[in-house]
Amino acid sequence: MTQTAAPKAAHERPPFWRDATVLKWAAQIAVLLGLVFVAVIAARSAARNLEAQGLTFSWRFLSDPPGIQLSEGFATLPDSGLEAILVGVVNMLRVTASGVVAATILGVVIGIARLSSNWLVNKSSTVYVETIRNIPLLLQIVFWAAVFVSFPSLESEGSGPIEGWLYATNKGLSIPWFFPREAFWQWAVFLLAGAIAARFVFRWRIKVLEETGHDAHAVGYSLAAFLAFAFVGWFAHPLAGAIGWIFGGLAWLFGSIPVLLMQIVLAALAVGLAAWWIKRFLDSLRSPAGLARLTDDDIFRMGLAGAMGLVAAVVFFLVPGITEGINLGLERLFEFWDTKFDFLRTGTVLEFGRPTVETPGRFAGFGLTGMTMSGPFFGVWMGVTLYTAAFIAEIVRGGILAVAKGQTEAGLALGLKRGQLLRMIVLPQAFRIILPPMGNQYLNLAKNTSLGIAVGYAEVVAVGQTLFNQTGATIQVILIWMGFYLLVSLILSAIVNWYNRRVALVER
Amino acid sequence: MPGDKDIIISEGVKKWFGDFQALKGVDLRVKEGEVVVIIGPSGSGKSTFIRCINRLEVHQEGRIVVDDVELTNDLRNIEKIRSDVGMVFQQFNLFPHLTVMQNITLAPIWVRKHTRADAEATAMALLERVGIPEQAEKFPGQLSGGQQQRVAIARSLAMEPRIMLFDEPTSALDPEMIKEVLDVMKELAQSGMTMLVVTHEMGFAKEVADRVLFFDYGAIVEAGTPEHFFTSPEHDRTKLFLSQIL
Repeated sequence: MTQTAAPKAAHERPPFWRDATVLKWAAQIAVLLGLVFVAVIAARSAARNLEAQGLTFSWRFLSDPPGIQLSEGFATLPDSGLEAILVGVVNMLRVTASGVVAATILGVVIGIARLSSNWLVNKSSTVYVETIRNIPLLLQIVFWAAVFVSFPSLESEGSGPIEGWLYATNKGLSIPWFFPREAFWQWAVFLLAGAIAARFVFRWRIKVLEETGHDAHAVGYSLAAFLAFAFVGWFAHPLAGAIGWIFGGLAWLFGSIPVLLMQIVLAALAVGLAAWWIKRFLDSLRSPAGLARLTDDDIFRMGLAGAMGLVAAVVFFLVPGITEGINLGLERLFEFWDTKFDFLRTGTVLEFGRPTVETPGRFAGFGLTGMTMSGPFFGVWMGVTLYTAAFIAEIVRGGILAVAKGQTEAGLALGLKRGQLLRMIVLPQAFRIILPPMGNQYLNLAKNTSLGIAVGYAEVVAVGQTLFNQTGATIQVILIWMGFYLLVSLILSAIVNWYNRRVALVER
Repeated sequence: MPGDKDIIISEGVKKWFGDFQALKGVDLRVKEGEVVVIIGPSGSGKSTFIRCINRLEVHQEGRIVVDDVELTNDLRNIEKIRSDVGMVFQQFNLFPHLTVMQNITLAPIWVRKHTRADAEATAMALLERVGIPEQAEKFPGQLSGGQQQRVAIARSLAMEPRIMLFDEPTSALDPEMIKEVLDVMKELAQSGMTMLVVTHEMGFAKEVADRVLFFDYGAIVEAGTPEHFFTSPEHDRTKLFLSQIL
């Protein structure tokens, strides 16, 4: 055996101005400081300008009555600025969610149709994609809203295809609907329990299927379990009212806990979170052989996490307002849920409502009426759905084409039918390719709903604009917009990333 | 040893890709249990020909009859032939999103309608046969090339085919992995499987083949026993080809 001397140079630290790790982190910290500096300058200049115009930067407009009327939403005459914004948020989420579902279904169908060997199907979907994605979305939204306006006008008598059941008028498309009543949430507890039970039943039946090889009707069994819970819950829901005690207790807890104690809890949480992250990080570097050699990068990263935890903990003590706000918010939240539950409280779960015409040209807005889709909603929804579907179709087509041809050949050579091949071999693989760009399209759709302002759809941008016209709180509203869209984007991309990791192919 | 029945009959099979004629009338009869090795330069149509046999390519003229079923546009015939003819590809073409076990049991469960338990028992036996039972729960991406190709062979065998087609099964493998795949193929040939093998492995052809075909420009130039083929080839093109590769 020959003893070779360890190469010395590798262990010697270079001077810091040539040390890649030091330089990298120095650059990051410099950029961070630069950003903070720019933000401070911008804030100071904004404050000076506001002062010069005699305006004050305040968040009071959130609690003051805004004195505005919104075209649709859960509160058309909001009591406060905050409520007005929440109406806009809910409206935006409503059209986003229904748009995402519809655009996905339509886009997948058209994407597969573009690969069809049937000439007519193939060409018509190509024409759809090429036309729709080359027309500006704003025009499309305005177009669909205009189509709606051309519907017959709403009269008290005899309008709508089916009087009292279905109306298709320029004031909206109204259909009968179910409305949750006072006992709905007590029943919802049973639905939740039923869903969990159905999951277990499903797994059990799948296990039976795998052991015996006979069809075990997993879907049927789990559906039956869910329906059984729903049926029992319909009558037994007063028992679930006991959950109200938990909410009541939590509301009392956050209402009476001393601020100092809560500060300690929150600080401990912040530090604990940082410690948990560091531990997880270390675990990820641990192999069966033991802890890997930590690089300078790893140490920096853990240091930063620890520092952030500590800073958060200190901030909780320095600014008691944060803790008070959290306490109040949680108390209100649990109080709210407490009102939905009451042990042994009887009542109606759901009620059926039919569209009602209040006066000519106006649907009844409250109570047991049908569900009405307004013209502006229709315009935005049709616009973003058709537009996004064209892009999704291209992504789906690309994803399917990207699955290697050999996969199809191998499947065919094994005797699989076309449908089985698509379902079990091609689509599961295409899905992994499709997912990340699909997430981008969902984000685009969510952001594009802000074009609803052009047709008077009361989503968060339109409401915000009305609000700052009334109150002059321009900067505050813009900050709220930015924060809201950032939050939506982060949540969506977190979901997509999580799912992406889950379905990633296993390799070495 | 080959039986009496002609299990594959090909008469005057012609195939064009656009203007290019890939097959210029291929006549071939393969007996049950026979091992036929097809060699020839690249682009000579040998892969195209065996891909016509399970209709991954569609021939435009001539007749192909596999196990008494003629390949026509009748979907029922095509499905019958595909489930009776196994195929192993150069690039393995395992399904990367399924485990080895799922790869092998997929077609027996969905095409042959076997129960999962039966299919898994068969799959385990086949994995034993190709020598990698311990890899059953891994994904293809976690295996070496040679192991992947052996899984691909097991996947084809799980359908209990009467005929196996091999399309350059060792061409994408590192040299040290070629042997493990060839060993599996030798064992399969000795068990009496009818095999059509496109390959550049002359050692395999010498040792295992009942008949060797030399393809060039879309037609069979020369056919014969390995002995005849490697010692006294008749045609100049065959001689030239053999002198270049041996």
